[in-house]
Amino acid sequence: MTNSLRGEVAIVGYGRTPYSRAKPGERILTVDQYIAGAAALALEKAGMSKRDFDGQGLGVSHAEASHTVNWSAAVAELLGISPRALIRGDQGGASASAMLIRAAAMIHAGIIDRALVVGADTPLSIPSIAPGLPLSPERTRGIFWEFQGPFGVMGANNQFGLVQTRYAHQYPMKREHLGKIAVTTRYHASLNPGAIYREPFTLEAYMNSRILSDPVRLLDCVPMVNGGLAYIVASAETAKTITDKPAYLLGCGEVSNYYSGSRTRPDITVTGFVQAAPEAFRMAGVQHHDIDVFEPYDDYPMIVLMQMEDYGFCKKGEGGKFVAERDLTFKGDFPISTDGGQLSGGQPGGAIGGFMPIVEAAAQLRGEAGPRQVKDASIAAVSGFGGIPYARNARSCITLILGSEK
Amino acid sequence: MAQMPQGKPLPAITDLTRPFWTAAKAGKLVMQKCGRCGTLDFLPKPWCIECGHLGLDWVEVKPQGTVYSHSTAYTVMMNDPAWKSDLPVVMCIIELDDGPRMYGQLTDCPPEKVRIGMRVQAHFEPISDAAAVPKFRPI
Repeated sequence: MTNSLRGEVAIVGYGRTPYSRAKPGERILTVDQYIAGAAALALEKAGMSKRDFDGQGLGVSHAEASHTVNWSAAVAELLGISPRALIRGDQGGASASAMLIRAAAMIHAGIIDRALVVGADTPLSIPSIAPGLPLSPERTRGIFWEFQGPFGVMGANNQFGLVQTRYAHQYPMKREHLGKIAVTTRYHASLNPGAIYREPFTLEAYMNSRILSDPVRLLDCVPMVNGGLAYIVASAETAKTITDKPAYLLGCGEVSNYYSGSRTRPDITVTGFVQAAPEAFRMAGVQHHDIDVFEPYDDYPMIVLMQMEDYGFCKKGEGGKFVAERDLTFKGDFPISTDGGQLSGGQPGGAIGGFMPIVEAAAQLRGEAGPRQVKDASIAAVSGFGGIPYARNARSCITLILGSEK
Repeated sequence: MAQMPQGKPLPAITDLTRPFWTAAKAGKLVMQKCGRCGTLDFLPKPWCIECGHLGLDWVEVKPQGTVYSHSTAYTVMMNDPAWKSDLPVVMCIIELDDGPRMYGQLTDCPPEKVRIGMRVQAHFEPISDAAAVPKFRPI
């Protein structure tokens, strides 16, 4: 990729609705309501109106609850917006980052000047993965399910368990290293009123939590929530008229369906971030030591550790050592998942969790992260990570570098 | 997707995938081999993932392999609750001697005994009149 998108656009607003575990007695909102709620927060933050997006861009993430043939246009109708360009995110947890890159390219090309990007899902209220509910048609349609469901594959816990077992076979890593990541995210969640699980836990509690799919335990797993998020991206020129705190896109890199080695027998301990991250760093013109805060895609600690390696923060296989040596808290020398991440914050469906690292990075760069604010945060690295390919580890890997200065 | 009488999911069989299920029902493991570059791959694809050749032939592969990775499930997640009676399910990625990898449940092996590199042999569990699922046991 060329460096042509560097500093071209900036995030000027963001929103994240309260999350819900859909417990009995709670009011159950629909996906559309969460989308509108998140969009309203983002518009308020930017001081904009929905009318500012007539003739502009509307990005809509795929949602498991609302899989229709015409979803993004239907959302435009429900919101009463007449966009020139619809951008559809279809890459699971990489959708939010992918839509930022697509929007930036459209803004760069002069097709639009700005875009409102939304995503929401209600995995606990639809046929999905919630206990007691049947699987959604989306999860049981298609060839991948035919060769997983009847074979006894137990979803993401099982699939990431397979990746983790292989990783631990090839490299020196202790469960304590993963535990440190989980404990840190919970600590950060305790500082974030929007996180779904806020009670801190100890490393011992992590080590002894219930095994779900060995070696993956309860406190390794992302909790599902209902919720919605949104961000607003605008050309750098317009951004300056909207806010004095734009969060600029400095670099991006992306790969889907990356193979490390052979296509039929790849090394599943390596993710596509080995390609996406260097691209993003090059475009941004930044080095690893320039990164003030890292917002990884953190549905499982193992995946966070693999991102640290594949981004090049440390060598392959040395992620465990790296985690042990660094302070991962917002006050530390390598702050990660400062909002509590998805691990403790909650994941509003597999496709929407990818908004969280972007929204939190924007909050950090704008100095709006309150008690979990990283001091003088000016450059953030952000991950999008979507989908689990058959017997491998990461369908879409996206790295974004965001900064408070162009 | 249809369900087995006891509730486990059944595959919706298509013309693309039928050879696999029919062979498994007959106790054989078959996969697609590229007619141009010879790549063997699983699961069924519309063309060769190495060279893009559309001509793929179903060939029998050796039903032996090694455990590439494993994870034993103690809960049913993102699958049908009927799997509950089978727990714990020792799930593996099996690397077949002929090349491809596949998900496969390891039977006849307690969870604490499964190891990467373990030699395994396929066996076939019928799930309907039209299909069986390959599972593996230690050799």
